[in-house]
Amino acid sequence: MKNKSSAILTIYTVLFFLYIFVPIILIFIFAWNSGEGYSFPIKGFTWRWFAELAGDRLAKEAIKNSIIIALSSATISTILATLLSIGLLKGLSRRTGVFLTLLILPVLMPSLTIGIAALVFFRTINFPLGIPIVIVSHVSISMSYVFLILMGRIESMPLDLQEASVDLGASWLSSIRDIVFPILLPAIIAGWLFAFMISWNEFIVTYFLIGGNMTLPVYIFSQLRFGISPKVNVISVLITLFTLSMIAILVASRKIYSKILIKERR
Amino acid sequence: MSVIKSKNKNLIYPGLNWFLIFFLLPLTVILIYAVTAHSLVPGEPLKFTFSNFAVIFQKKHYLIILLRSLKISFLTTIFSIIFSYPVAYFLAKRSRFDKVLIVVLMIPFWINYLIRTFAWKLILSENGVLNQFLLWLKVIDEPVRILYSQTSVLLGLIYMYTPMMVLPLYASLLRIDNSLVEASQDLGASRIRAFFDITFKLSLTGIFAGTLLVFIPALGSFAIPAILGGTDSVMIGNIIENQFSRVGNWNFGSAFTVALAVLSIALVLFYSKIFGLESIYKNRDSS
Repeated sequence: MKNKSSAILTIYTVLFFLYIFVPIILIFIFAWNSGEGYSFPIKGFTWRWFAELAGDRLAKEAIKNSIIIALSSATISTILATLLSIGLLKGLSRRTGVFLTLLILPVLMPSLTIGIAALVFFRTINFPLGIPIVIVSHVSISMSYVFLILMGRIESMPLDLQEASVDLGASWLSSIRDIVFPILLPAIIAGWLFAFMISWNEFIVTYFLIGGNMTLPVYIFSQLRFGISPKVNVISVLITLFTLSMIAILVASRKIYSKILIKERR
Repeated sequence: MSVIKSKNKNLIYPGLNWFLIFFLLPLTVILIYAVTAHSLVPGEPLKFTFSNFAVIFQKKHYLIILLRSLKISFLTTIFSIIFSYPVAYFLAKRSRFDKVLIVVLMIPFWINYLIRTFAWKLILSENGVLNQFLLWLKVIDEPVRILYSQTSVLLGLIYMYTPMMVLPLYASLLRIDNSLVEASQDLGASRIRAFFDITFKLSLTGIFAGTLLVFIPALGSFAIPAILGGTDSVMIGNIIENQFSRVGNWNFGSAFTVALAVLSIALVLFYSKIFGLESIYKNRDSS
């Protein structure tokens, strides 16, 4: 009886994983299909769509903008969130609950409301739409995620460590730089990568704030609205491969760090 | 000692100010737009009105869209629970490779959701993969039209957000002590009874956390109905986008946005009242 239900569960889980991954695999298949349409059987193998994408000036512009936005917003939000998390969890004694509830809002609120609010706000103060305000808004969103990632690590770090270093003659600044910062470093790296990926994938807020410019998700959206071309498949394949390598870097950096830690303890 | 703490405390200001200026202030501005009738001009007194909200409930067109959005998001949540429960249960209780499989399951989450939506466009279109498959199986004689309907929007949303339900569900099932189930069976409960009285009830926290992660983004979705939906599947997000990019009625658009925000914040507060916000953080940790 138990074996039978286990078998059913196993089959179901396999089917579920297929359901999650088959759509993505289909995109890959059609990126190299030489036929125009999206139907089986596959006509033949071609690099044509890759070549077409390489000649697309708008797509290249979009890739450049996406990288600029993701790099700068991830960096700003990681710095702000690191300071904020130290201050909130190792400085403030009371009322942290209120701050935590406020800080989780960008995570749980639909990004549509965040995008619209930013649009109305920047238009009201007559600030022109474009890349700078996209960066600003991405920071407001990803800061909360980075904060959540850092939180676990900071909570497990006792304040005594910092106090001991100050008792032994370190200044406050060097206690932050030499004690707190190295302890937080793996979480900071993870948080930065997380913030990068959020910004890289973000569509809705960007769509409202980008003005006349392009980012990759906005480019894909515009392509999807005006009928579809295998170029979208190619760009999807490239983004997916990029994403997978980012995940691999994240996992590897954690593994390497924990190995270093183990060696140090010995 | 407290010198260190008070110096540490000062570190919150850059982030806090950023949050206040670029997150809370914009929200306040749309709140003001939502309860006034004109655009904001410095120096002019504000005239408060509730007519923007009243329109949502008076015009049948908007009320229908509001109710439809709630219905679609509700169905998305229900289906995501049904689809993900067996998987979460298998991963938490029967699998040795659960940690790896959870990471694998999160991979699509990192692939741009427009790309995943695009995949569903390929699958559901009239000469798309699904129709071809069904024709080949001889289940249907001619292609069925699924794309550009409420069904295709629902399929897209379920696909997009079901992994978000698996995570907290898996975390809550993992925490359940197996000896509780064994004890109830020793005391004479059937396997089904033990499941519903022990396992299911203890996994409710996971279901509620997952509901937040599925229902709220589904309710605020705009790209999926724009790409996969037709005229009968316009949702709140599309109305709001339309107000800002075409109609230009900021006051009314803001009212709709505020309604969406209030609805989602209310859900979050309701949840934190019952379970505490910590459980959200904890569930996220496991990802």
